[in-house]
Parts: sequence; C-alpha cells; structure tokens
Amino acid sequence: MTTAGIDMGARNIKVVILKDNKILSKGIALSGFDQKASAEKAFNETLTKAGLSHDDIKRIVATGAGKDVAPYANSEISMMGADALGGAYLFPSARTVIDVGAEEGRAVKCDDKGKMIDFVINERCAAGAGTFVEAMSRALEVKLEEMGPLSLKAEKAVPMNAQCTIFAESEVVSLIHAKTPKADISKAIHDAIADRIASMTRRLGIQRDVILVGGVAKNVGFIESLKGALGVDLLVPDDPEFVGAIGAALAPAK
Amino acid sequence: MEQRLFEKFHEWYENRHEYAKGWKERTGGKALGYFCTYAPEEIIYAAGVLPVRILGSHEAQSFTEPHIFAMFCPLCRDCLAQGLQGRYDYLNGIMIAQCCLHMRQAFTSWQKHIPQEYSYYLYMPHGIQTPRAYPYLRGELEDFKKSLEEWTGREITNKDLDHAIEVYNENRRLMKQVYSFRREKTPRLTGLEAMEMVVSSQMVDKEEHNQALKKLLKELPNRKLNRSTGTRLMVLGSEDDDVEFLSMVESLDATFVIEDHCTGSRYFWNEVIPQEDRLAAIAARYIDRPACPSKDWPKRTRLPHILKLAKDYDVEGAILIQQKFCDPHELDIPAIRSHLETNGIPTYFLEFDVTVPVGQFKTRVEAFLETFQLPTDLF
Amino acid sequence: MAENKYETKPLDCWNEAKQLRKDYYENFARARKNGGIRWAGGAWSFSAVPAGLGDDVYSLTGEPYGATVAFNKEFAEECHEAAEAKGYARDLCAYMRNYWGSILLDKFAWGGEWPKPDFLWTTHICCSHAKWYQVASELEGNVPFFCVDVSVGPYNERSERKLNYMVSQMMDGIEWMEKVTGREYDDEKLIQAVYNECRATSLWAEICTLNKTIPTPLDEKTMYSLYVLGTLMKHRKECADFYEKLRDEVKDRVANKIAAVGNERFRVMTDTQPPWAFLELWRYLQKYGVVSIGSLYTFGLIGIFEVKEDGTWGPRTTPQEQGIEIETREEALKTLAEWTLSRPEWQHFYSPELKSEMMKRIVKEWQVDGVMLHYNRGCEGLTIGIAENKLALKEAGIPVMHFEGNMGDEREFDLERTKAEVDAFLEILGAR
Repeated sequence: MTTAGIDMGARNIKVVILKDNKILSKGIALSGFDQKASAEKAFNETLTKAGLSHDDIKRIVATGAGKDVAPYANSEISMMGADALGGAYLFPSARTVIDVGAEEGRAVKCDDKGKMIDFVINERCAAGAGTFVEAMSRALEVKLEEMGPLSLKAEKAVPMNAQCTIFAESEVVSLIHAKTPKADISKAIHDAIADRIASMTRRLGIQRDVILVGGVAKNVGFIESLKGALGVDLLVPDDPEFVGAIGAALAPAK
Repeated sequence: MEQRLFEKFHEWYENRHEYAKGWKERTGGKALGYFCTYAPEEIIYAAGVLPVRILGSHEAQSFTEPHIFAMFCPLCRDCLAQGLQGRYDYLNGIMIAQCCLHMRQAFTSWQKHIPQEYSYYLYMPHGIQTPRAYPYLRGELEDFKKSLEEWTGREITNKDLDHAIEVYNENRRLMKQVYSFRREKTPRLTGLEAMEMVVSSQMVDKEEHNQALKKLLKELPNRKLNRSTGTRLMVLGSEDDDVEFLSMVESLDATFVIEDHCTGSRYFWNEVIPQEDRLAAIAARYIDRPACPSKDWPKRTRLPHILKLAKDYDVEGAILIQQKFCDPHELDIPAIRSHLETNGIPTYFLEFDVTVPVGQFKTRVEAFLETFQLPTDLF
Repeated sequence: MAENKYETKPLDCWNEAKQLRKDYYENFARARKNGGIRWAGGAWSFSAVPAGLGDDVYSLTGEPYGATVAFNKEFAEECHEAAEAKGYARDLCAYMRNYWGSILLDKFAWGGEWPKPDFLWTTHICCSHAKWYQVASELEGNVPFFCVDVSVGPYNERSERKLNYMVSQMMDGIEWMEKVTGREYDDEKLIQAVYNECRATSLWAEICTLNKTIPTPLDEKTMYSLYVLGTLMKHRKECADFYEKLRDEVKDRVANKIAAVGNERFRVMTDTQPPWAFLELWRYLQKYGVVSIGSLYTFGLIGIFEVKEDGTWGPRTTPQEQGIEIETREEALKTLAEWTLSRPEWQHFYSPELKSEMMKRIVKEWQVDGVMLHYNRGCEGLTIGIAENKLALKEAGIPVMHFEGNMGDEREFDLERTKAEVDAFLEILGAR
C-alpha cells in the first residue's frame, strides 16, 4: 500500500511517500505565506520523484501546525501522534521522542508500536527555539548552519537565563557587549534552549531510548547541549525534520 | 585590608552548606531548613536545632518544571531546584511559616519528593493587623514547640527560650549597630557587604555570628572605604541576594545605604520584647515585624516604614526590584513608587529572574544615576 | 463525529437562572437609589454576615464580575490596559485587573457607571484576596474595607483555636459594619442567612453528585451558568430555592436518561476556571463525543461535600438537617466558619496532595476517562500545586493533559494551539 504524509510545519512543509512502509521519496518546501500552494508544489514534486501519480496514493494524512489547510489530505493526525509513529519507525527502541522545530518544542512518550502514551508541549514563554537560534545567528553575524559547530568550540559555559526567549535575547546582547567570545555565546544560546527543552521533557519523565527529531536536530551544538542537560544519550536520525511526515504516512485510517 | 572585615560573612554566604555540615559534625545537632523569614527561629534554636534558610543559587536549571508551573516566581523554583539536586541533603527536616503561595509550593514539593525525617507547616496568620492574630499565633507556636520536642526528644524549657531570645535579640541589635554605619555621610560598608552579613546570619549559628559581629564592630568605626559613595540608593522589593546585581550597581558611583528586603533589614529590624509568656512574646515579634506585602493589609504599613528608612539613611533614589511573577510585591510596588516619589525620592523599577541580564540592567541603572548628577540650573 | 445515543433537551429552569443573575447585578446597581446598602467582596467572603444589616443589602462579588468582563474581550482588554497604565503587572490575577479596570474606567459591565459600594467585606486565603480590595478601596477613594483572614489550614487540621480566630474576626467585623453603615445589626437575619448558605452549598454538591450517572445529566459548560449563582449569593433564600428546583429537575433527567450531550462517549474533567472567552473548546470536545462532567472547581468552589457511609462523596448534611438550632450570633458565625473550612477548593492552598486525592476520587466516582488541566495564568490561587496534581494523576494511571491559558486575559490563550494539544489527547483516549 502506498501512503503519503504531509507535515505542514511553521517554517517548512515536508512530504514523505511510503510504499509498504518503505520510504519512496521525500520533499520539502518553505511554508511561505500561501501554505496550501507550497504544500501542493512540494507534494507534486515528491510524487514525481517517486515516479507515481496522485491516483497511486491510497491515503494522504496531514499533520503539523497547518494541517487544517493541507491539500489532498483525507485524514489527519496530531503532531505528537505523528512524532511517536515516525520516531518508533526509525528507532524501534524509541520511548521518548523530542521534536524541536522552528516555533515549538514537543516531547512524546510512546510504546513499542509507536502509539503515543503521553505528550507535552513547551510553555508559551519558551516558544520559538529554532527561530531564536536563527535570530541570534544574525546578532552574532554567523551563518545559521555554523552556529552548531561554533558552539562545540566554546571554552566556557556562560550561564544564561532561559525563562523566556525575549529575555534571553537581551542577555545575548549583554554578552556581546561584554566581549564574550562568539563560541561561548553560541553555546550559551544552545544551553539555554536545551535547558527549556530538558525541563519540558522532565515533565513527561525521561524514558530511554530518547530520540531527537525536528529541524533543530540538525544543529550539532544543540544536540550536545541537550545531551548535557538531560544527562542521557540521544539518537538522531538522518533528515530529522521528516519524522513528522513519516509518522503521518504511517498513520492508520480513520 | 578593608575587604577583610566582612570576609567571614562572605565565606559563610559562599560556603553555607559546608558550614552547616561542619556545625552538625561539631555539635551532633540537627539542622532544620526554613522557607520564609516568618519562621520563629527562636523556638527552633531553643530546641538545639540549627535553623537554615533555604535560598536559591542563581543558576539556570531544568529540574523544577514537573513540579511548579512556570508562572510562579523564579525564587521558589530556584529553592526547590537546590533540594532536588541534593544540595541540602544534610538537613534533617524542613519547615515553613505560612507565607506566599509561591514559596509554599517549593515547600510542599520538597515535602513530597525529597526525603526528610521531619516537616512542619506552621499556619502563620496573614491577618497580622487584627489583634486576634496574637493569641492565635501564640497557640500555633505552642503546637510547633510540642512538635519540635517530639522530634528532638527533648523538652524546650523557659530557660532554653530565654537564651534563644537573648541570642537572637543580640544579633538584631548588633546588626542594627552595623547598619548605623551606613547612615554616615561616607558609609563604612557597601550594600553588598550588608547583604552578605544579613543572609549569612540566616544560615549560621547566631552565637557564632554574634561573635563575628562584635569583632566587626570594634574595627568598623575606623574603616575608610577606598571608594566614592556616589548616589545614596535604597533597594527594596522581593527577596534579593543577587550578588552580581548589587556589585554591578555599586561599581557605578552609587552605594546602597539601606534596603527593605527579607534578605536585609526586614529580617532583623525588631526584637522580641520579653514577657512572662515567652511564646506570646515571640508571636508578637513576628506579627509586629516589618511586613511582607502578602500580609500588609488592610492598612499599608510598609509605606511609612519604607519612607522612614529612606529619610533616616538620607536616600537619594530607590531601586525597586521584583522577582518575576511575585504577585505580593507586584501588588505593592505601584503604591510604594508613588509614595516615595510624592516625597521627593525618584524610583526605578527592575524585574528579576534567577539570573539577571547584567549588561542591560547596567545601561538602565546608569541612566537612572545620571538623573541625580545632571545640573538642574542649566536653563 | 460521534453519533447521538441519548435523548437530550435544554433545562426547564435555565431562564430562571439567567433572570436571577441579571436581577442580582441590577439590584446592586439600583440599591442606593432605594436607600439600600451595597457592599463588594470576593465570592468566598462570608456573605451571610452583612445580611444581618437588613433585607435591602446587596453585594457585588469580584470573581464572577471579573468573569463577566472576560466574556467581553474588548471591554476586558480596555480594563487590563487601564490597570497596566496604573502600574499593575499583567501577570496579576486577571479577574482583579478586570475589576480594577472597571473602577478606573468608571464603567460597569452591565451598563452605566461603576456602582461604588458602601463598604468592602472579604476573606483572605489566596495572596491576592485582601490586596485586591485594598487597591479597590484606594481607587474608589478609601471605601471602608474589612477582611477576615481564613488561612488557618486544611479542614482535617481544624481546631477550636482556628475557628475562634475566624469567629472573633467576624465578630469584630459586625461591630465595624454597624459603625460604617450606622445600622443596627439583626442576629436573626444572620442566622437565617447561615441556614440558607448551608442549604444552597449542600444542594449544589448534591446536583454535582447526580453527574456520576452515565449519561451525565449536566455538562460542565452548562454548570458554569448555574454554579455562578452560588458565587453571587450563596447566603440568599432565592439561591437555595433555585438549587432545590434545579436538583429536582436534574434528578428527573437522571431517572429518564436525559443526557447533557446526546453523543456522550468519553467523560473528562477539567481543573481551574476555564478561559471564559473560549468556551467553544468545550463544544469542540463534544464534536467527538467527549463531555466534561465538571471539575473540582465547578463542584467544590461553592459546593460543600462530605464522605458518606459507603465511602463516596455526597452533599454535606446541613445543620438544619441535623436538627441543630442556631441561637446566637456567635453560634451562627462558628457554624459558618466550620462549614466553610470544609470547602473542597480551600484544601489545596496547604497541600497539593489533598487536592490530588479529591481529583482521584472524582475520576473514580464520576467515571472519568481523562483529565484536562487548565494551567491558568490568570489565577495563582487555584493553580498552586497544579503540576504536582498532574504528577499524582499520572502516577495513578489516569490519562491527563494540560493546556495553558488564562481565565480572564484572552491575550494569553491560543485556541489553535490548544486544539492541537486536545487533538493529541483525544487520540490517546481513542476518541479521535
């Protein structure tokens, strides 16, 4: 059976096509202002890549913040439910799936079948993890993709308050004024977000294996910081931003 | 040379846990952690138990989120985080004298999740302005005393209480004497030093603290601080033992000459006035002390008290600080600001978190201080 | 979408509840014109006490008023901005800011100017209570203000001393009221008001208990419009009489299997005040056959319960049912103090565990499938300990979620985000 998952994320739209639970193709597009149009484009490109036509797809399941406007979808699943399914598909040992994206951090507890048992979403003050790193990379005049590697070069852990991102931002400015090395600031930023995500995950209880997914999981600096904050090892899949879409494609019919 | 006068207090403040562990080893006694300065320490001390105030460590942490919803103040979360990380594992028990909702959560979560042999919730009244509170608290103190006796297996005699009252009153008198040196034109101590002196008194054996104070008082009259006093500031609001903030401000040609904090004058300002019924005397002391905002109603007794402090200590300006989400202080700050400003004392407001953005606060405080330095007859 | 299984129909006495509420606010606004007295205070104030000043004494309770403002998003925002402009922080109690904002704007939510009360009479258990009216008094030009401290600990630790502390303050309060109003106090009216209050609050508990049935005869959204009468005038005869009528009607619904929601498949309970401007969330649940049977909040804010012989929760037996005759002012006040200390929503102020136990009891006896906790940024008093409640419910194996919001400040509620969380929870329950 061939199914598709569309993850309508805040920053990017991700599409995955599965045949008999094997990934055929993946596609990604910026969400932009017209999410629906972007999703149509991403979906059709992914179809083409798989060499399939729309009629070949038995079921299309939407997830993500914009799932209500997803095109073609005939079913939907919550982001947390999709994380659990996608996470367990990639790592059958996964019991906790942490998803950190542009606007939101989530953690899901699941069983060995990828069924969600419990979940938690970050509090509003801690929103915007991915977007925050992006804004801070501009403040430091560092390319976004260099933030992670830079942070690994830090020599010192600079404590930063992580209560809310707005407040944290002003602390970064203070650190810049105090001539703190860029590497240390970069680590401080990742530590701060990691602390928030770790706090949130502790509300669930940390059950191993823990896997990290979502766009921010591509940032090695953040991965290191989160490992430190949680005190456990993390499994990170390739293409971690596609896990939600994979989970959607695996979702049962309703 | 001049720094060393306060070195002992600084050491105690920095090494509070080592001190308490050492005290226990030395004396074989028990240590009881308390969560708010309404705790009737005299009774604890009379039981031969060391009262230790539980405070935070000003570090970002990720342990308390499962226990306390994030809209409660950073201090209560910071305190609980200390317990969850085992930093107070030497405590034999904990107690709280009923205070704000925020701190109560640190206490109840601690009670539930951190093993201890003893815990006690003292129903300290909020209605401290009604005369009915005196007999009521006296009775509640009696229950607390009995409970301590059961726990320690030792009777608390009148003699024990008298001794504790005397030690505590002496501590209050001595610290007030030290504070008088802040009233001078050139204060002989900084606000940071005063804070460390007061907060250390909340953690160490008061008799030992008294010895250190007496030594200090011998030398203090001759001390000359090698710094400019600058603008004479008052700081007031929520709990504040933020070393980084205090030293930042005092590096900007300004000195904190007085404060109204539970980590400062509010803690020790009044004494127990002895009477035959010792518990009644102790109850009266805690009811009559400078109020925490959560108990300061229907009248606002804090306004005249704070203004008097400002006048006595010749304050030029006041910084009001508040722990983020601290409702009791949020409910008082507008009234205090307006009262001080009507009486010619400019104010500046800052919101604190577990750590503070020092750089940003520096810019603001500098601007506030400039307003005192600009010539007023320019135009 | 879940299909209808049960018969359903609106409540016959619905309009009467609406009318009582409308009259309450209008009577307050008009009281002075007719030579009457008006006082304001919290919904938990000892409202039976001012009743001794006469039959023409009307009250305005602050929390229901704050909720009334919250329904009107534009007015609520105006109120919040007015309070913030005065220097009051935006994370303070949202009802309180709605209330102060109304004074500052000189606008009454029910139309016209702010009806300034003759005196303020309240109780203090939450840190904001006395401070609320301290500030209100200042904003209204020093309206006389009296507050009874009731923070004496949970019911299971009650003692003569604690009761005396409360009673003696109320005795002082009566003398103060006489001075402030120049009226002579009538103990007989106080005694009647105490009887009324015990009857009304026990009846409300009985009504809540009827929700143990499947299908539930009342859903929480409907209950919000009914329990409110207890928050306005729990001491008045018309409140107790109405609850009696309502009790009979709900009993009738139970007997005839009339459901609140025809498609009931899953039963949930919530916690704390809802985000008033977003009750559509409760409708959203109903689309999936999920009905909220109530909460410790809707039950125990006003309702007074006791553990019955079979170990389950039921309405507390009133003094009159026990044949107790109250004869003096002091007896009346003591009865009232003792009765009130057993209020379920007063227990958690001292220990989250007491609340967790009550919540687990409701889950069991009311046959609840899952719990949805509102982490309410607008009320620190009812949110205290809520994270520990969540842990305790989880530990007991009960499915539980929380959503963040604010009962009275819509700027802090994100409906779409909340729906996303609810969707995931419904998936866990199997309702989606």
